[in-house]
Parts: sequence; C-alpha cells; structure tokens
Amino acid sequence: MTRKYIALPQGVSEKDFDAAINNFRKVLSDDAVLTSAEQLAPYIKTMMPVPDADHTPSAALLATTVEQIQKIVAICNQYKVPIWMISTGKNLGYGSAAPAERGQVVLDLKRMNRILEVDKDLAFALVEPGVTYQQLYDYIKEHKLGLWLSMPAPSAIAGPVGNTLDRGVGYTPYGEHFLFACGMEVVLANGEVLRTGMGSMPNSNTWQVFKWGYGPYLDGIFTQSNYGIVTKFGFWLMPEPPAFKPFVIQYQHEEDIVEIVETIRPLRISGVIPNAVVIAHALYEAPVKAKRSDYVSGPGSIPDEAVYRIMKDHKLGIWNVYAALYGTQEQIDVNWKIVTQAFGQSGKAKILTEQEAAEDPAFVYRAKLMRGEMTLTEFSLYNWRGGGGSMWFAPVSQARGSETLKQMALTKQILAKYGLDYSGEFIVGMRDMHHIVDVLYDKTDPEQTKAAYQCFDELLTEFSARGYGTYRVNTAFMDKVAETYGPVQRKVHKTLKKALDPNGILAPGKSGIR
Amino acid sequence: MKKTRSGNYIVGCIIAIFFVAGNAWSAQDEKTTPGFAWKDGAEIYAKICAYCHDVQVGPPIRNRELPAAYIRAVVRNGRFAMPAFRAAEIDDESLTKLAEFISRRSTQP
Repeated sequence: MTRKYIALPQGVSEKDFDAAINNFRKVLSDDAVLTSAEQLAPYIKTMMPVPDADHTPSAALLATTVEQIQKIVAICNQYKVPIWMISTGKNLGYGSAAPAERGQVVLDLKRMNRILEVDKDLAFALVEPGVTYQQLYDYIKEHKLGLWLSMPAPSAIAGPVGNTLDRGVGYTPYGEHFLFACGMEVVLANGEVLRTGMGSMPNSNTWQVFKWGYGPYLDGIFTQSNYGIVTKFGFWLMPEPPAFKPFVIQYQHEEDIVEIVETIRPLRISGVIPNAVVIAHALYEAPVKAKRSDYVSGPGSIPDEAVYRIMKDHKLGIWNVYAALYGTQEQIDVNWKIVTQAFGQSGKAKILTEQEAAEDPAFVYRAKLMRGEMTLTEFSLYNWRGGGGSMWFAPVSQARGSETLKQMALTKQILAKYGLDYSGEFIVGMRDMHHIVDVLYDKTDPEQTKAAYQCFDELLTEFSARGYGTYRVNTAFMDKVAETYGPVQRKVHKTLKKALDPNGILAPGKSGIR
Repeated sequence: MKKTRSGNYIVGCIIAIFFVAGNAWSAQDEKTTPGFAWKDGAEIYAKICAYCHDVQVGPPIRNRELPAAYIRAVVRNGRFAMPAFRAAEIDDESLTKLAEFISRRSTQP
C-alpha cells in the first residue's frame, strides 16, 4: 500500500489527518500546505546523532497572518494534530527546523517576515517571526537609523524572534537577548491573541518601551516553551556608539582560565567591559585557520601536543579572550587603561587590538560579531570533523575561575573518552558564564554518531550530578534536561500546559513539556 | 519612524474583529504591507551563500558551471554541514534564479 504521508502525528488516524490537511488547505493556499517527501526534505535534516526518521514531520504549513494561525489552531484542536512552530528554522545544533517528535506538523512562520516598526529615537524594533538578522540589518542601513543588532553566530540566516525565544545570546552589550525583549503578541491554543505587558492595553504606545505592564510578567513563559505562538516580538536595539575598540587577549595555559575569569568578572560587573565577552579555547578558533587532518589522523580526540602545534602555527592562545569597548573615544581611552592594567598584572596575557590583528581571520569575525555585523565564519567549526554532526552542550557556570576550570576539565575528560575534541568557549554574562561546547562528530560515520550520542548523554548526566544545569539543548535530549531540574518545576510546567493548551496541540515535547 | 501605520488600520481592525471573535488584536496584523521578497539570484547569493562559499568556510561554487539541478537539490536537502533551505526561505522561483546565477560563468570574483 502506498502511504499518502511520509509520517503521521502520534495517535492521529490517516482519515483524521486527511480531514485536517483538507481544512488547512482551505485556510492557506495549496502551495503553503506541504506534504510530499520532496517538499519536506529541508525540514528533516538535523545535525543530531539520531535517525532522521525520529524527527520527520507529517506536513508543513506556511502561514503568513495571525488570522491564518488562529484558524490553524482551531483545526489542530478539532483533530488533535500537534504543530511544531519554527521562525527562521536555523536552530542549528539544537534541532534545526525538524519537529521534536515524529509526525508533528511544522508551522513554518518564515514567510511572516515583516519589519513592522523600527523606532530610531527610542531604539526598538517590532518584527514578525520570519525576519532574519540580515533583513533587519539591511533595513537599518538603508534607512540610516544608526542602530546596532546583537545576534548569534549564524547571524545572517537566523532571526531575533526564534533566537530570543530559545534564550540565545549574542556578543554585544545587548548580548543576553531576552533581557532586551520588550513585548510579544502571542496566539494562544484557544485562538485568542494576547499582547504581553503594555500591549494588552488598547491605544497604549508603550508596548516596546516598558516591559512589565501590570500584574504577573508573562513574557518569560513564552520562551523555551510551548504555551503559545509568538507572532510579533519587540526588542531594544543598541545605538551605534561613536567609537568601538575590539581586542583579544591570549593566554598560553589551560589553567590560566582561572586568572582570566577572576580578572574579567569585576570589569564585567562594573560595566567597564560592557559586552558578552567570549573566552574561546584554541580548538574553537582553530577551524578558521587550520585543518584538523593536518595535525592528527585516525580515531580518538586530538592530543594536547597537536593543539600546542596549532597554537604556534596559527598564532592562537590556548584561551583567546574577545571583548570590546564602546562609547566615545574619551570613554574608551579611560576604560582601555583599566583593562590593560588589570590584564597586565601577571605578565601572562598577550593583548592584541585591530592594529596587530586586523588581518587575522578569527579576530575579524569575532570583531564583526561584537559590533553586530553579519558573518557566518563560525561555521568553520563544522569542517573540523566534517560529516555534518554537531550538538551544542551548554551548561551554565558561575563567573568564578575555579568553576570554569572544573567544567572545562570535566568536559574534556568525557569528550576524550568518546574520541571527541573539546571545542569550547565561555560566554561571559554579568555573573554567569554560558559554557558552550560544540560536540562535533562525523554523522556519516555510524560508530562516531553512536559515540557522540553516548557522550552527550554522559555530559548531561555528569554535569547535572554536580549541580551544573544546561540552559538550552537540542530536541533529542529535552526530556533528559527537563528531568535534571526536578519534579516540582516539571509539574508546574505541566500545570501551565494543561491550562493554556488542554489538547496539547502546541509543540508537545518542547523543553520536556507535554 | 513608524513603518506600518496607515489609513487602513482602523478599517482593518473592524473587519478582523468581525471575523475572529474574542480577539481584540488580530486586526493589527492584517495590514496589507507585503513581506520580504528576494530581488534576484545575486541578492540571495550575497545575503546567504557568500558568507560561507566566498570565505573558504564552504567550497567555492561560482564559476564552476555546476548544473542548476544539482544546486537546487543541494539547497533543498543540504549537504553534510550545509543546512537545507526551505521553500519558505527561498521560494522555488527564487531558487531557480539563484541556481542560474551560480551556474553562470562570470568574470566577477
């Protein structure tokens, strides 16, 4: 028997699914309801070490308006069809555009891509989910608005709505993106449209300038969640500073991370260094300049000796601290003096600015990220092992040197057990660090793929056993991470889910919530 | 600077409230402003492909006379680490233009 669909939602008969699809076609045009294998192919490719079949969608719906989405959720409620919402669909290393569970219908909001408002004076934007950073960047340039974006490394092809809703980070002073979110429009599972904060008040003009509104603050429950479909999103933009000074500070020994963090923390908390500083290991930066195969062959993780040769050949530190100063030239001059004095004390740091490093490809792309310029150069990471396998392991650490050293050593040890390399960095928040490790493996090699899965599982187990929580994870491991935060939080999440989405039609499984 | 305020706003509000019961806000979404659309293949190449393929992150693909059908297939399916691009991102007509742009031998770098 020829199957009509490449997958079906769990617990939904083909007859009911047929009826749902026919109804979707009445809401959207025929070419916006995708069901064939060819049409759905781009939704299936992930970088995770699990069979693509586990995350194959049954259909994709290309909605462009709120009204269409309201009608879609009504149909989903009627036929108990689950939908998985994506915006730009470039959550690479976290699940890409594929649904969490086989058979879910992808609600693809990429074509909902209007920049609704950018206010030059108040420095905010209001956009739809499909807007990319590139689109917004071009718009700001074209209209000479003098505003800067903060975006993650997949900048040009990713977008502010999806990244912020997954609580992603960037590299400018506005790098903790959710801190700068201000007002959402959300289609709820019952079809109602909620505007959060000041947006709930008719005729209010403060939706994008005051975050809190009145009563319990709701925006947070629509991040990393499945309680609604965000259709508009407001956020603040950084005014272009008169001057900008990027720099890199290199250290030669892994244990120097203790000194680095102890030096940076007071500078970051006091605001002398205002941006989300990155402390990148040599193996995170090496792919921009070097090929792994030039230094090591065969199975197993790269030995330290080879890493030191890469550092020497390509002028990298074992730790490379990328940061920047922003403001008037006078402000920068004062803060530069404070920074160089702080880092100069031990004599271990090598400080480089644009003057010395302008031609260095790693410095160039890092400087672009710190001023909100489009670049995809960080994708060089994917060439390190080749084969398209990548998962972001993202535990949170205190901004305390001893803690970062412990986390680095534990990560490296577990990766080595499975023959994988430590491609890690710490992104410095105000008091925390996002320890970001790209678990790179060759997805075309079944043995390495299996090892990568087991490795990631062990990383989560060992880190949570020590009280280190993961802030974000790919769709194959969401339940495991949810479990690490304990039963009470899971119960509260479930209670909210039942109240807001009793039929469980919105992204079941997101963050382990059903 | 407000991009989308227009005279259609109030009319749009009233119409949408009739259509969608219990929803005071849907109308503001139903404005007629079109969304983003690609101009041509060169624009897509510059805004997506060039960020990898012109800086040695991905292999060079221009001036290699790669078959258009192959380019379309790689864009839709991805290849190793290269992500797949959906019709929602690059519609079929724009993909045809992009494939033609990449396939065409050019004197430009």
